[in-house]
Formats: sequence, structure tokens, C-alpha cells
Amino acid sequence: MDKKRGETIWTSLDRKATAIAEFTMRQYRTRLSTWVVLGVGFLAISVVLLFYIDAMNTEIEAIDNDGDSLDWDGDGYVNGQEYKYGTDLNDAASHPGLLDPPIDPEPASMYINEDDYDWDYSDGSRLEVGIDDDGDCNNSSLPESLKDDNNDGTPCNIVLVYDSLSGSYFVYADPYVDEDPDEDRYGKEAQHRAFILGVGKLGFVFLLSIFVPLFLATGLIRDEMTSGTMQYMTAKPIARGEIFLYRMLGYLAIVWPYLLVVCSLLAIVSGFMGPGDQIFRFKDLGVWFSILIAALLATLVYGMLFAFLGVLWKYGIILALPIAAWELGMALLSMTVPESTFLRMSIVGWSMSIIDSGAYLVWPDMALFTQKGAWAGGTGDASFFFGGGKELPGYRALEWAQSDLGLGLGPYATTVLSVVVLFCQAVFFWFIGQLIFKSKEIV
Amino acid sequence: MIPDLAQEGKAQQQAWVPEAQAPVVMLNNVGKTYGRYQALGGISLALSGGVTGILGLNGAGKSTLFKLLMGKLQPTQGEVRLFGTNPWKNPAPYARVGYVPENEKMHDWMTAHEFVSTFARLHGLTRDEAKKEANRVLEFVGLSDVMHKKIGRYSKGMRQRAKIAHALVNDPDLIILDEPLQGCDPLARTTIMNVIRELGRMGRTVLLSSHILSEIERITEQIVILHQGRLLAIGNLHAIREQLDNIPHTIEIECKDAKSLAKDVLSLDMVHGLQFPSSSKLKVFTHHLGEFHKRLPKIIVDNEHDVMVINNPDDDLQSILGYLTGGFR
Repeated sequence: MDKKRGETIWTSLDRKATAIAEFTMRQYRTRLSTWVVLGVGFLAISVVLLFYIDAMNTEIEAIDNDGDSLDWDGDGYVNGQEYKYGTDLNDAASHPGLLDPPIDPEPASMYINEDDYDWDYSDGSRLEVGIDDDGDCNNSSLPESLKDDNNDGTPCNIVLVYDSLSGSYFVYADPYVDEDPDEDRYGKEAQHRAFILGVGKLGFVFLLSIFVPLFLATGLIRDEMTSGTMQYMTAKPIARGEIFLYRMLGYLAIVWPYLLVVCSLLAIVSGFMGPGDQIFRFKDLGVWFSILIAALLATLVYGMLFAFLGVLWKYGIILALPIAAWELGMALLSMTVPESTFLRMSIVGWSMSIIDSGAYLVWPDMALFTQKGAWAGGTGDASFFFGGGKELPGYRALEWAQSDLGLGLGPYATTVLSVVVLFCQAVFFWFIGQLIFKSKEIV
Repeated sequence: MIPDLAQEGKAQQQAWVPEAQAPVVMLNNVGKTYGRYQALGGISLALSGGVTGILGLNGAGKSTLFKLLMGKLQPTQGEVRLFGTNPWKNPAPYARVGYVPENEKMHDWMTAHEFVSTFARLHGLTRDEAKKEANRVLEFVGLSDVMHKKIGRYSKGMRQRAKIAHALVNDPDLIILDEPLQGCDPLARTTIMNVIRELGRMGRTVLLSSHILSEIERITEQIVILHQGRLLAIGNLHAIREQLDNIPHTIEIECKDAKSLAKDVLSLDMVHGLQFPSSSKLKVFTHHLGEFHKRLPKIIVDNEHDVMVINNPDDDLQSILGYLTGGFR
């Protein structure tokens, strides 16, 4: 640093860079279309945010999954209470009130959501979890062999086995253990996670990162070539490749802060609104950070791509539209089949795997958590033979929004690889873009 | 590589060394075709120093020639060299070139000062230096008092001057002006002509194009005539002009009282005839156009004639072209 400033060729280069970047930024700021595009993007995201706020403020109706809040025999004692004291559910002449000393009837509400999940997450492939909170397994008149339905030697518990092939858990439960989970508690958490992942993937990486560059970057070089104002810039001692790159910097100087602001806003609102005992969900910031990184890189790559298409052809936006359609397909594919090879030929696929990695690191219990929703106290799809399809609320949304790491790598490796690939894509599009720009005559 | 965010200190120029002894502008059998249309065919030219007027009708290839020099177009044949360097391949010589395009589109959302200083920074100047240089050149073209107004609110003449200022900001050795006087009012015209003459006096190589001979005549004597993409004549205007004096010219004058003007005009011996298309219009026929234009202002001023328009559109250039191509027009 003892070298005096302004002495190398680099300094004069980045004087040009800042000049063009500043110029481009100001040019964007004076255009109404810029504000319309950014405003519409913000509105679209805000509408989704409003749905989220509404969902967080709506109590999810508690469902009595195991039916023990009912009073079959009409004796004033709900089934759950009769169960606990071993009286006959179907005989009005047999209830805990007749015991010595007599027991007062308990309200039915005590038997709704009374046996929530007691599943602590660990990354072991086999977990023994579950506590029979309401005693309808431990105190029941079932024979001991039935109390240990899963044959692990411990009565009234649940065994979870992780299947690394499918990436999901199998639930082997003894009867009446954790059979009446708290819908609201699960649903809020699931909706919260689904919102973050959904808005991150479709809102930021797809909607904003494709449509903002589509409208702002396609004309980055082309508009000036058409109007003739490019004459001034190309008459200066600066290579066309540099013009392309520095104008891109100006575009990023508008788009990146915008993404940062919108992303921070959503992170703050959802951090305060989200479920949980804490005031602010600090851990979620990790996911929001990965969403931001993914969106920043996606806008960079799409910007380079669309600016290149604009240089290639006067009506470059027509070339950009099929690409946007392809990317939408890839976005949906990445949410359902994240390991598909087609995704390697997209921008959105790589961006989304950054978000999936972030979610994987912040919420390592995701596979178990979704399995909780699917199992739904034993009434869910796969595990309960005749009560299928009764997943917990929020499960469907979360299942749709989240996906596994499709590259077969760990979360850190996936992130690093995706960032490198996206960066290479950006450099590649810049390189072809400036080659085409160099060969274009400016009339 | 440390980003130069502070942007202090003297600017560094690009490490480009012009070829010694090379002419400023050199064209060797240069041609440009668009499909089957030949815009420019086989032009050879070498220029260094002085003000040169490129004359030609619309479509003669003046702008094409300039765009080839500025590396906007790739020649279909031949070699273009600026300071010995091929401008299509290497933008480095533009460090010493100022270019005023014909295009009327400008960055209307900027002030002239912002426009000039922004583009000055593309020469590697710092922010402060660029601002200082912008002040200097805007003063030079006479826009100092309005330089902080948006270009969108400028008149045509002011826009042209802003364009010229932007081209002069790097103190160039070669200045290329494509139709710099087009659409300007007489006052702006005079200012711009003075600027160009001044540049010539400063020893710069100036190329300017026009399709109006009398404009060029007021600035320089060294001309190049282009016609239908071909080089028709290079040289001193006087030599060409002398031969032209045998061709009759028509000048149209619009004034309040055509008859009394006619009486005074007839006192000039180079006038051959008159016509009165209407009571406020006078057509003058002469063989000595240059001489007539020299003497006419004095007559108008001395006798206090109320003259609205003096018109000899393309006429003189048409005549030269007709003369040079062998036909009479």
C-alpha cells in the first residue's frame, strides 16, 4: 500500500468502471419503467407476505385425532378419562364417578391434542422416541405384547428408522403413543417453513430473479445501440467487453440492494411473526441468507444472459421468453425431483440448491419434521391403514416447498459447487455477450 | 489490484503508444457495402493537421466514412488506420480522438456538465479532474451559464455544442464532427464555426462534414468531396471555386420590399439577372457566387433592407458536383 494511488493501469480501469456503473445506475433511476418493474416485484412478494401474516394469525383448529374427547356412553365422562380409570367406555353405568373416592368429570377439551409428539431430533439413523402423555397406552388394559407392538422391548414407545435411500423416516409406533398431536403447533411451524422456502424459491429465485433482469437487463446494451447513444460510449478508449461488464455493474448496483431490502424485510417480518417462544427467530436468518445469495447470483446470471440476448438480436426479449419458460419448468422440477439431470442445464436449479442447502443446515430435522406431518399421530397416509390422507395441516405445503439436496453432496459442498457453477455461467454469458457486441456494427 | 475508490491524484492514461510518423487518419482503398448497396467504394486518403471539410450530398458516404474511422463499422475492404492503429480492433487511439456523432439522440436526463464529466472519466480521469475539464470545455463552447440544466431542455444549437464539448474533453489531436451545424440557428452556427476555427488554429486535425458548401467555406479551404461513395476531389476550395465561377447560380432572397432590394442588388456587376416570384421574393442569378455572398451583407446593412431569408440550398454543392461529374445542373 505504500505505492501511490493512481499509478497503475488498474486504477484508470476502475475509474472507467465506476464512471460507467454510476452512469448506468443513474440512467436506471431516471426511467419510470425501472420503478414500475421493481414496484410490481415488491407488490407480488408483499401479497405473499400478507397471506403468511394472515396464516400466522389464524388459529389452526384443534382436531381430536384419537377420538377420546367423545363420550360414547353419555355418562358425562369422556372416553379419555374413562380410559385412564379403566371404566367401560360403552356402559353408562360404569364411569370414574362411581369409584371410591368419586372422580369429577374432566372437560372434553382436556382430551384434544393431549398427547403431542415427544420426538427429539438427532441425526441417528434409529431413534427411540415417544412418551404416552395421557396414559392411554401405559394404563390401558391392553396385553403387554400389544403395548410393545413394534417389538423393541420397550412398551409404549415409538421407533423411528431413517432410510438413507429415500431420505425419509419410517415410523414404528406402539398404539396410543403421541397419537393426538397439537395441530396448531405443528401447522404454524410447517407453514412458516413452507413460506420461507416457497417465497425464497418461487418468489425470489424465480419471479424476481427472472423478471427483473428480463425487463431491466435485456435492453442494457441494446437500448443504447438502437437509440444511437451508444455512439458516445464507444467513441472513448474503452473496449466493448468492458462497457458490457461495467454496465452490468450498474445494473447490479440497482438490483442487488433492491433484493437485499426486500429479503431483509421478509426476514424481519417472518422472524417476529413466526411460531416459537422466542421473540425473534434468529436461526431462520441462515435460510434467508442463502435465499439472498441464491437471488443475487441468479440476477447476475440472468442479467448477463438477457443482456447478451439483447445484443444478439434487436428483439432479444423474444429469445428470453422461452428461456424464462424453461426456467419455470426447471423451478418446478427442482422442487419435486431435485436430483434430475435436467436441472444442471438451468440457472434456477443451481440457485435453488443453495436455498435447499441453507434450509438443510438451519433445519436439520426437516426429514423427521415432514414425517411427523405425514404420520399425523398414526392417522396419516402411509402408516395408518384405514385412515390414510389425514396429514397434519401445513404438511402438504411444506412437502411441496422443501426438497432434498439433489447433488448427492453435503450442504456445504452443494453450496460451494452451486455458487461456482453460477459464477461460471455468468462469466460464460459475459464472454459470449461481449464477443457478439464486439462484432456488432453501431449505426 | 486495489480499487481506486477515493479517486484522488493524477489520472493515468492508457498504455498505448501511437505509431511514430503515421498520419493521423489513413484510409487505404476502403470500401463499405451493405448487402448490394455500396456506401463507400475504394477510398484512399491520408490526413494530418488542419481543418478539412468533407462535402457531399445526403447519402454520399460522409457518415459512413466517419463511422469507419470511429470503429463503429467494419470496412468490407481496405484498411483504416487512426494514428497507425486499426480502430475496429483496438479502441486505444480514441484516447486522442474526439467524435461528435450526427445522431441527435443524447442523454437528455443528464445536465451538460454531468454528460461531459461522465464521459471524461472514460479517459481515465478522476471525478475531480473530469469536473474541472468539463468546466473548461463547456466554457470553450460557450455553455458555462446553462451547463447545470438538463440536456433535454436545450435548443438544437446548445445540444450540438454540448456534444462538441464532450468530444473535446480529452484535449484530442483529432476531432471528427459529423454535420455539426445541422439544424442550428445562425447564432449557434457562428459560435460553433468559431470553435472549429479555433481548434484548427490550435493545430488540431479537424474533420467535419456538411452538405452545405458555404458553411464549410467559412471555416476552411481544405476540402474533400464525396459523391455516391466515391472520392471526387481533394484540395483547396479556391482552386475548385475559381472554375466554378462560370456556372450560373440562383439565390433566393425573401424580404419586405423586393423591388427596392432589387435596385441595390443590380448595382453589383456580378449579377446577371433578377426575377420576382412574388412581391416579397427576389431571385438573383449570378456566376460569381462567392463574390456575391461577400458583398450582399453590406448592401443589406447599408440600405437597411428587411431581409427574412437568404436561400441557396445545396445549390452551390450541386453545381460543383455537376461540374465535377461533367454534367450541368
